[in-house]
Amino acid sequence: MKLRLSADKWLALFFLAFALLVILVWAPLDTGTGLVEKVRRKFVIGDALGPTVAGAVIVIGALLVLLRPGTDKMISRENVVWLAALFFLFALSMVLMRYAGPVALAWSESGYRPLRATAPWHYIGFLIGGTVLVGGLTGFAKRQLSIREFAIGFAASLAIALLYDLPFDDLILPPNGDV
Amino acid sequence: MGVWDHVIAGVLAVFQSDPVLGVPITILMVLGGFLLGITVGATPGLAGPMAMAISLPILISVFGYSNDALLPVLGFLIGIMKGATIGGAVPAILFNTPGTPDAYMTTLDGYPMAQKGEAKRALRVAHFSSASGDTFSDIVLVLCAPFLAILVESYLDLPEKTALLILSLAFIASVIGNSVGKGLISMGLGLLAAMVATGEDFYPRLTLGQPALAEGIPIAAAILGVLILGEVFKALEDIHHNGVFSSAAQTVRQDAKVGTLGLRKLLPYIGRSAVIGTCIGALPGVGSTLAATLGYTSAKRRHTKEKEPGAPDFGEGAPEGIAATEAANSSVSGANLIPVLSLGIPGNAAAVFLILAMDSIGGFNPGPSVFQLGGGISAGALNPEMVMAFGIFTTMFVANGLNWTIGGMFMRSVGVMARIPKERLLPIVLLLTLTAIYVQETSMVAVWITLFFGFVGYAMRRIDMSPLPFVIAFILGGNLEATARQAFAATGADPFFLFNSPIALAFIALAVAVVIFSLRKPAS
Repeated sequence: MKLRLSADKWLALFFLAFALLVILVWAPLDTGTGLVEKVRRKFVIGDALGPTVAGAVIVIGALLVLLRPGTDKMISRENVVWLAALFFLFALSMVLMRYAGPVALAWSESGYRPLRATAPWHYIGFLIGGTVLVGGLTGFAKRQLSIREFAIGFAASLAIALLYDLPFDDLILPPNGDV
Repeated sequence: MGVWDHVIAGVLAVFQSDPVLGVPITILMVLGGFLLGITVGATPGLAGPMAMAISLPILISVFGYSNDALLPVLGFLIGIMKGATIGGAVPAILFNTPGTPDAYMTTLDGYPMAQKGEAKRALRVAHFSSASGDTFSDIVLVLCAPFLAILVESYLDLPEKTALLILSLAFIASVIGNSVGKGLISMGLGLLAAMVATGEDFYPRLTLGQPALAEGIPIAAAILGVLILGEVFKALEDIHHNGVFSSAAQTVRQDAKVGTLGLRKLLPYIGRSAVIGTCIGALPGVGSTLAATLGYTSAKRRHTKEKEPGAPDFGEGAPEGIAATEAANSSVSGANLIPVLSLGIPGNAAAVFLILAMDSIGGFNPGPSVFQLGGGISAGALNPEMVMAFGIFTTMFVANGLNWTIGGMFMRSVGVMARIPKERLLPIVLLLTLTAIYVQETSMVAVWITLFFGFVGYAMRRIDMSPLPFVIAFILGGNLEATARQAFAATGADPFFLFNSPIALAFIALAVAVVIFSLRKPAS
């Protein structure tokens, strides 16, 4: 016999399992002190109590959802595809942002690092990554990638870069603090 | 030093801040925030909290972390908060598209008025009602917050304060969203996130051995991720599935003559809605959208009984409908600072960013201790936190003054913002948010953490789980644990410290009652 549960009940079971994992495995194994500790002959609250209480709150919430399931909204296959597309776009943009500058200056003797605070080199990663991110997201939303959206993305990235970089000497644009 | 010395010092801290172009910087910042707030409020898809989130890192970069930074930064954020509420009415009236969720009810009568050629009159009614509700709410804030704080500090000891925090969290989890169970799950997840690497032991707890988490989850990354990125991901997907809508297509006939506002008829509706909005705003977790709905429905009942023959009904272009909605949603903005300043508990997304600003800059810890007369370095000295609190009140009244004087004129000029397509605006907001996070944390790991919490916020919205209990629990989690630790130690390790005092017991009983009572509300 196949078990048929509503979306909210599956959600409740998922969080119930997660909370039990927190209470029984994660909190005991990944904390330095127990629920209560004896320090200088006095009992004090240990580091494991907070996460255990948080887990208990999730358990109560999950049980209430099990008892009174509500609007039954769930993450659909379309949502998962959308999330995967977003993740792909973010990964691509971040890789471009992180490595575009060092790759562009790979030919030079000094490389990117000594020039990471010098215009125009320190804009390279941010502009390329930002253009792909803004243009790609707009294209995803409109179901149509176009040069125009990437041009708007470039203009927006440039405006944001100048907004932070021109007035403030001490601010570092991404990814220049990491390279 | 007495209360009046603190009041005067607070007012002077605002009006004697460093001048720029001859104007005190704090006043300039309130003005800048207020105008930006009206602009973002008039832009469908943006909202006050979004603008506050993006502005905060820039403001901190400009003003730094000194005590002098607090009032200009908070003044700017308060300006945004107040401006966004009245800005939301502009596209609601002109284009039948609420600029902010709490302006939805304004569309019901505002747009029909605009279609009849009374757009300017509708905007003036919205502005007058909004400014009235806002002013009323600020006066209540100034009168109530200090007394509530003194009451809490006088009568509540550590166990009672712990119980009060539990009650507040239970209330927020229960009243926000459609399901109390999901509210509690959201709150539990927020508490869990607050526990990462924040214990007292040297071992960084719950980090799964990841060095990137050893300093804890960056507070701005988690909050901006869940509140801003989650909303952007969802809104873009909605456009992806439902197609691009142009709200600007529905333009209206502009009237040449404004006519009279009919204040005598509007005032009872404004007064009643201002009281409703203020009461709702003072409760943590109950937002301006509910206040607007309650204000509107209450006014509708009154209007049905008392309307003159021939006057339009609610929903057909009644100015009383706009007045009731706008007075109610605007009166939330002052009252929602009552729990912030007196208890340190943020009640909505805007308050979250005010607390985040106070926490980031330091020097001001909102809570009952703020209003202690003996809080200075010596018996006769001023309490700097109390001075700061009165400085914050002053910035709110400055924003009110701006609202009454230039607010109406400016709001009538930002109708064009509704024409900016959301699908172009939201990706730029996202890049701006990620850049703001990087500038603050200087690490790509923080950007990835923000994106992770963006996915969490998106998933929460898709399963109809409000992200606000998560954010508020994340902010209050550390405070709750610290208070509980102190209460446990102070009561000689009594495991029942929450049940021994009648006040603490009453708070815990109320927390249980509010959850049980909320279980009875139907899912909408």
